[in-house]
Amino acid sequence: MTTLPIAVPPAGDAPGTAGRAFGEHGHWPRKPRTWPRTVVIVAVICALTAWSAIAIQVDPATLIRNAHNASNTLVQLFQPDYTFIPDTADALLETVQMAVIGTAVSVALALPISFVASRVTNPSTVVLGIARFIMNVVRSIPDLLYAAVFVTVIGTGAISGVFALVLFDLGIMVKLISEALDGLDRGGQEAALASGATWLKADRIAMLPEVASSYISQTIYVFELNIRASTVIGLVGAGGLGMLIDKVRTFYQYHYLSTIILEVLVIILALELLSSASRKRLLL
Amino acid sequence: MTPIGTTPASDPPRVADAPPPAHGTGGPTTGLTPGLPPAARPKRPHHRLRQVVWALVSAVVVAAFWSVDISWDSLGHAPARLVHYIGLMFGPPAWGQLPAAVSATMLSVAMAWFGTMLGIVISFPLSLLATRGLTPVWVRWPIRGFFAVLRAVPEVVIAVLMLSVTGLTAYTGALAIALGSIGTLGKWGYESFEAVDRGAIEAANAAGASRVQVMRWGVWPNAQPDVLAFWLYRFEISVRASAILGLIGAGGIGKMLMDNIQFRVWDVVGMLMITVVAITMIIDQLSGMVRIRIITGRWDLPFAARLRRRRTARAIASALDGTVARAAASDLDGSAARAAAGTADSEDRRKAEE
Repeated sequence: MTTLPIAVPPAGDAPGTAGRAFGEHGHWPRKPRTWPRTVVIVAVICALTAWSAIAIQVDPATLIRNAHNASNTLVQLFQPDYTFIPDTADALLETVQMAVIGTAVSVALALPISFVASRVTNPSTVVLGIARFIMNVVRSIPDLLYAAVFVTVIGTGAISGVFALVLFDLGIMVKLISEALDGLDRGGQEAALASGATWLKADRIAMLPEVASSYISQTIYVFELNIRASTVIGLVGAGGLGMLIDKVRTFYQYHYLSTIILEVLVIILALELLSSASRKRLLL
Repeated sequence: MTPIGTTPASDPPRVADAPPPAHGTGGPTTGLTPGLPPAARPKRPHHRLRQVVWALVSAVVVAAFWSVDISWDSLGHAPARLVHYIGLMFGPPAWGQLPAAVSATMLSVAMAWFGTMLGIVISFPLSLLATRGLTPVWVRWPIRGFFAVLRAVPEVVIAVLMLSVTGLTAYTGALAIALGSIGTLGKWGYESFEAVDRGAIEAANAAGASRVQVMRWGVWPNAQPDVLAFWLYRFEISVRASAILGLIGAGGIGKMLMDNIQFRVWDVVGMLMITVVAITMIIDQLSGMVRIRIITGRWDLPFAARLRRRRTARAIASALDGTVARAAASDLDGSAARAAAGTADSEDRRKAEE
């Protein structure tokens, strides 16, 4: 693709003049011709962007017009009503409860499943393949979709939220832990198997302690994800702060809405600090 | 937790007043010298803090289960119901609606593409301005704070906020995706600009380059492959996000899903779920192919590359014989798996964070 420095001397170039600068090894290398490729790439990107803009009917004028109309809304949004905070306590508590329960259940379920889904700890390729396929499917469905389905199947409220969170976390957790297991040193396990242990015992004695620290750090991470997710899944009726957001939005109480969003922001930032600090301490 | 190499039968009983070893590693009295009989087993290290943390965590979990507003006894028939609904969804899915689903998906993808492009256009100059060494602190920190705030707010919440201004359209969804992607793209951008080799920057400075010229010739050529890969990567995330935004009404496949869920047309829901998963996977592979091309210079599908890597490791393991060779091969396999797990881990985290 790129021309090597030992280029053919360009026609019409006097060898004497170029040779003076670069010795007898050759001439100034010709710059590789990349512009046709660049033109094609830029054209493709522009075409895609134009297509997408037409498909979603981009209209900056509407935005400006509506922004003018919605200036009242914006003013309300920028004046959060802090007296609303006590009223959010119940929803906030439910959000945290959902996150805690979701984390606890999914983390407990994920540990045995990850041992089944890791090449290192599961000798059976058939079971391994089935487990991995199921977990791939579970992981590829977004949390809000789980929540929407469960709200219709089970009913509104925290229970649907917990179900959605558990399934969503399970996918992530099993992937992370089974991959941590894949990367472990198998020496201890081989020793245990050689001394007559069953696979179950060998995995329990040799692999479980090794994966424990990464398991705990992923648990903290999943909890962090859950707090984020559980504020959102309420928007489709699965309990927590999201339901409150949906309620104040339907009643156009934008100063309440911005209060809630500020609250979410503070919680998420605080949690992020806490979890990164505790994860750092775990690794030391 | 039995220390390897000690057989309980020949072990003398624990000595209670043995000096507590630091961090559980054997002190001079543990008798690990070959030839000497094993001395007293070291006492298990006592972690007061760890116990407190465990107790606290357990208490919080129990309290959450206790206090939450859920009637746990209704959980008994949940599995049966779940199986029933899965049967309704996938037995069989309504493939007749597939054309409508595909066109709705295209709208979602368009939303994701436009949002990502807009996000790139806005975040790119901002992330240059947020790079250490290129701009003064008073420029850098406000921009970084802006990125952090945008990353903290879930995209769905941004969309809810924007609904009040633009109404509920695919355009709103694209704008929400753009705002959300500014946060992540900005952060990845300045991180990769800062990771650039300083040599080129120093050379540009020494040759008398202005700030813009330093960025163009010292920073950009080095960071370019990473940044382009991040852009594509963010597009993959945006595709997922656009499906989610549809669920709260911003059009596309998500909206179609939500409508069918609410009207309980389960066979269509099943079909739509399969479509969402399939399209996300296809787009991941396509975009991953371009990403691999940018970084390694070869055209390769991500899943094919992964398969080939695994096969090579296995071939080496089976070709080499003897214990030493097998150990070496398993180590090689292990390190390859570890490397793969490392990248997959960080990718998955990024994806999940959205």
